[in-house]
Amino acid sequence: MALAADIQGGPSGPPSDRPRTVGRRQLSDTQAAWLLLAPLLIFFGVSVVFPVIETIRLSFYDIRGLAPARFDGWGNYSTLFSDPNFLRSLRVTLVWAISATVFSVAIGWGLAMLCALDPRRTLVFRIMIFAAYGVSEAVSGFMWLGIYRPDYGLLNGILEGVGLSGLTQPWLGNPSTALGAVIVAYVWTQVGLPLMTCFASIQSIPKNLFEAAYIDGAKPASVMRHIIAPLSMPGVRVAIFINLLNSLKAFDLIFMLTGGGPVRSTETVGFFMYRESMLNFKLGYGAASTVILLIAVLVVSIPLILKRTADAR
Amino acid sequence: MTLRVPNAKTPLRGCAATLAAMICFGTPALALDGELVMINWLGGAQGEMMDKLQEDFEARNPGVTVRNVVPQAGGDARGGIRAVLMGGEQADLLVNTWPAFRAELIEAGLIVPLDEAYEANGWGEKLGESWRALSIVDGANYGLTYTFGDRSGIWYRTDTMEKAGIAPPETFEEFVGDFAALKDAGITPISVPAKVWAHAEWFESLLLRTAGADYMARLAAGEASWTDEEVKAALSKWKEMIEAGCCDDGNTMLALDWDISVDAALKTGDAAYVLMGMWLNTRAKQEYGETPGEDFDIVQFPAMGLGHDDESMVDAKEFNVLSSVENREAADAFMTYMLTADAAGIMAEYGLASPSSDVDPSIYDPVIQRSVDEVAGASKLQFVLGDLLPGDLGSEYRVALQRFLQDPSDETIDMVTGQLADVAERAY
Repeated sequence: MALAADIQGGPSGPPSDRPRTVGRRQLSDTQAAWLLLAPLLIFFGVSVVFPVIETIRLSFYDIRGLAPARFDGWGNYSTLFSDPNFLRSLRVTLVWAISATVFSVAIGWGLAMLCALDPRRTLVFRIMIFAAYGVSEAVSGFMWLGIYRPDYGLLNGILEGVGLSGLTQPWLGNPSTALGAVIVAYVWTQVGLPLMTCFASIQSIPKNLFEAAYIDGAKPASVMRHIIAPLSMPGVRVAIFINLLNSLKAFDLIFMLTGGGPVRSTETVGFFMYRESMLNFKLGYGAASTVILLIAVLVVSIPLILKRTADAR
Repeated sequence: MTLRVPNAKTPLRGCAATLAAMICFGTPALALDGELVMINWLGGAQGEMMDKLQEDFEARNPGVTVRNVVPQAGGDARGGIRAVLMGGEQADLLVNTWPAFRAELIEAGLIVPLDEAYEANGWGEKLGESWRALSIVDGANYGLTYTFGDRSGIWYRTDTMEKAGIAPPETFEEFVGDFAALKDAGITPISVPAKVWAHAEWFESLLLRTAGADYMARLAAGEASWTDEEVKAALSKWKEMIEAGCCDDGNTMLALDWDISVDAALKTGDAAYVLMGMWLNTRAKQEYGETPGEDFDIVQFPAMGLGHDDESMVDAKEFNVLSSVENREAADAFMTYMLTADAAGIMAEYGLASPSSDVDPSIYDPVIQRSVDEVAGASKLQFVLGDLLPGDLGSEYRVALQRFLQDPSDETIDMVTGQLADVAERAY
């Protein structure tokens, strides 16, 4: 307890400037904090800050294959915004990120509310759903390839089995259905996280609220609507934030299922960046698209982080 | 004993020649040693084959240890190779199969010419003129081809032909005419895997038969336009095949990866023909347990009577010597070994062919023998077009063909050839 109070600078006040002893030197709280943070900051600098700065630098160069880099100013950026493939990838990313986030959070939230009605009996179900979140997207991709195969695929097989053979089609080969099919697969992999965050949020609702509601004769649907749904919002917000960022970064599943096709119909900005950087090896051009994606992620995440910080205060 | 030749242009060239001659004649007077570092991206059966070749080479040269640098890449390995090279990894040899990539490596000064090594090691005597020509750029030879594949060969199961009551086609008219019989037998005539790259094989074979190897070489070099009548004629022939019921609908083709199509043609018999590289021989033998020449076979792309019926399209794999080479003797010795009958024997086990004249063709199974004969007898050889195109154009080319397969109309032909011409204009 004394140690905890010491670390927090006392139970109520700000960190004190009482000296700490490190070897023979005495450090202030601020110095000690920086010392403790230093390894993490160095790691963050090397693994995040430096690559970001390097990517921004590269985005101003024209680099083709292994040829020497040539400074091109804003050339890559002006080309990007007149490149129909990039503009299409922006549209695809928008549809992808919004759909994937809305569906995965809505399903996860709905399942969490249902599970909250009987937490003990739904434990195995929750574990099973969350397990999908733990499976790598590459492995999930293999599974969904089997489901969507045009010849012996599970989905077409089921549709034929129930007499809906008119609905069978090459789900990943039709540009009209490919993006939807990949979104469904992605939502399957992501729904576990909102389920858990929302469920945790629901679990933190004071029990006396439920007791009072039941004493007043509230039905489960009413409890769900008036107590669980509004009070689980913190979990929903966290889920939206994480799922949105995950969806903007998504790559593996798209790579496995469609490779950005057919006819670029599932090519997100992330995949566009991969194609330009790793297949066409235009590193500068790919880096410029990465910077645009980074800006998009920051635009989405900074207001949410600020809101969360304000809420926490 | 170690012989280090840091640069091929040093006066020790003669020693290297002597050393190579001794290796060729099996005289263990001078032993090689040290580490031979190879950038090796081969996977699957071809990766296993390379492991076996390296083990055999090490057994013959106990002082040498081969170390592989494996580039991390999904799909096209060039991205991973570039990352390895840009990361400053030292290596002696690189396995390469893309002529366009070779040109990029030359321009960046990352590989060295092999003309002197050809002379010193007698490689020229073992490789025919056409194989040597494949790796010559601006008069200098930068690669040693160690295996090749016949890419004009159409693969089929023999029992599929029996089931439909047809014989492998010799002419384009027979080929298209047989589609009805195949469909009556419940078989899709051709499985075209258009998900990523393999659909281009059909266009390229059609272009070879209609316009010829010389035109394809000009198109690949940016000296001919994608809006030329030759390109449109090849696409029109493909349209003719589609209208005759050759294939699944466009969207199904776009959903098929190459392995699904190969399974359909060579394993389940759901489709009759598939057009792809020689690795199908390895797949059918090792994964399906089939016997070449009995269960499955290969037939050259049908004749069209347009003056290019005896030309063949090939792919090849070669070694490039990197400018960071540190063990040049071992690198040269390994390449010399790859042209021996012993190395060809190992490659033949895996269903691949060697271009070396030291090899007795009787070691090959009937399918490889047939493709070797076809390639050897071809009046002209043309490398796979897709591997010759610069990055942007290569990507756009495959997407353009996907658009064509979705809607194989004259309007689409005009649209996609126009788009390709635009991209080509910026790519060269």
